[in-house]
Amino acid sequence: MPAPPFCCIAPPDLLAAVAERGDAGDREAALRTLAASTALRARRTAVARLLRELGADHETALGVQSRAGGRRTVYDAGHGGESALPGKKVRGEGDPPVKDAAVNEAYDGAGLTYRFYKDVYGRDSIDGKGMELISSVHYGTDFDNAFWNGSQMVYGDGSGRIFVRGGLTKDVDVIAHELTHGVTQMTAALEYSKQPGALNESFSDVFGSLVKQHRLQQTADEADWLIGAGILGTALHGRALRSMKAPGTANDLDRQAGSMSGYADLPDDNDPKNDNGGVHINSGIPNRAFYLAATAIGGHAWEAAGKIWYVTLTERLEPGSDFRAAADATIAAAGDLFGAAGAERQAVSAAWKDVGVL
Amino acid sequence: MRVSVVRGGGLAGLVQTTTADSESLAPGDAETLRRKVDEAGFFDLPAEGGPAERGPSAPPDRFAYAVTVEDADRAHTVRRGEPDLPDGVRDLVDWLSSVPGRRESLAPPGEPPPP
Repeated sequence: MPAPPFCCIAPPDLLAAVAERGDAGDREAALRTLAASTALRARRTAVARLLRELGADHETALGVQSRAGGRRTVYDAGHGGESALPGKKVRGEGDPPVKDAAVNEAYDGAGLTYRFYKDVYGRDSIDGKGMELISSVHYGTDFDNAFWNGSQMVYGDGSGRIFVRGGLTKDVDVIAHELTHGVTQMTAALEYSKQPGALNESFSDVFGSLVKQHRLQQTADEADWLIGAGILGTALHGRALRSMKAPGTANDLDRQAGSMSGYADLPDDNDPKNDNGGVHINSGIPNRAFYLAATAIGGHAWEAAGKIWYVTLTERLEPGSDFRAAADATIAAAGDLFGAAGAERQAVSAAWKDVGVL
Repeated sequence: MRVSVVRGGGLAGLVQTTTADSESLAPGDAETLRRKVDEAGFFDLPAEGGPAERGPSAPPDRFAYAVTVEDADRAHTVRRGEPDLPDGVRDLVDWLSSVPGRRESLAPPGEPPPP
């Protein structure tokens, strides 16, 4: 197998060779890889230098990444940290499955999420312009987390304590949750703090769950409304990480609020204990509002309730929007999409009242 | 020497606290702990760093760390987002997460760790 041409930060001599040969395909591949790296602050200087050597700027690189038609590429981070990203290329779009289950699950999950956004809402990838979907697996050592780093997906292996080993790529709702953080970043750009941060979390849970429901073709009544079902490690006891239907009941350490009476007003003070002002606790409130609206409307949740939330996220919120702003915007969107006197608008309004936001 | 690592955030949003004390570690591990703290230049690191990790621009679902080392008459805490962990501190945190004799607890956000 040839060495992946632009693993990590490409050696300067390799880039020089590309520049000399003037091979357009190779140059595009180099620019795409660099675009994926530009969000990584630690590597900014190296990326800027390599872009100069390729005779391109950041915008050009992002443009190349955007013309990828949602193409998937999976890398192995080899247990490295931030500086090891993306890692060694192990599977590209259209390549057959490999032996490593994490690679195939990351590939399939990115594909399911892409198809959902494209088929249901007409959105072409994370940025709406066909952005390449890059995933890196095997990040860190026994790493109990998966995240969107601003330009790509990153998956740890799990330690067995919070997540079972191999669990972080097992649930498509978790994968879609993280990819939706990318959609939010490129649309409403909700601040990751207090209420805007809890909304940021909630939109990720909403579309995470909808991707799973869409895959299973479930109605709102049939869905389990769980995030991270069946992947909990030994330190957590329960069914899932979170329940949108019954916030606070998914496991023994689940303290999610299901209405404003349980709102946790934690400070956003850079103390890791306070979770950016309780973003993972208070997201239960808008989560339950979505569940209530979707079940009241009935049918497939992605069709009406999901459409209302999608339009709200991508067109009607701003970085500092709070719960009240989200409630008002979803009610207005429901009226615009389905009629001011429609059952959809009524259901959305009743849902926000039920959870105490209105 | 005593070290504690408080890790919050991540997809789960839970707070994991890991502590170890030289006296509860095997002699070889206690030596390794001291060496890793020295190699990280821990007591010379700024208490805060990576300003982009703070407040509204914090990246979603990333871990955040507060690492405290107490040694004789001095104590120092370093707070960083996971992408901004200095290599030496990342190495210390990774090592601590599996060393025999450590204590680990898990709690919801905003609550003190269980006894």
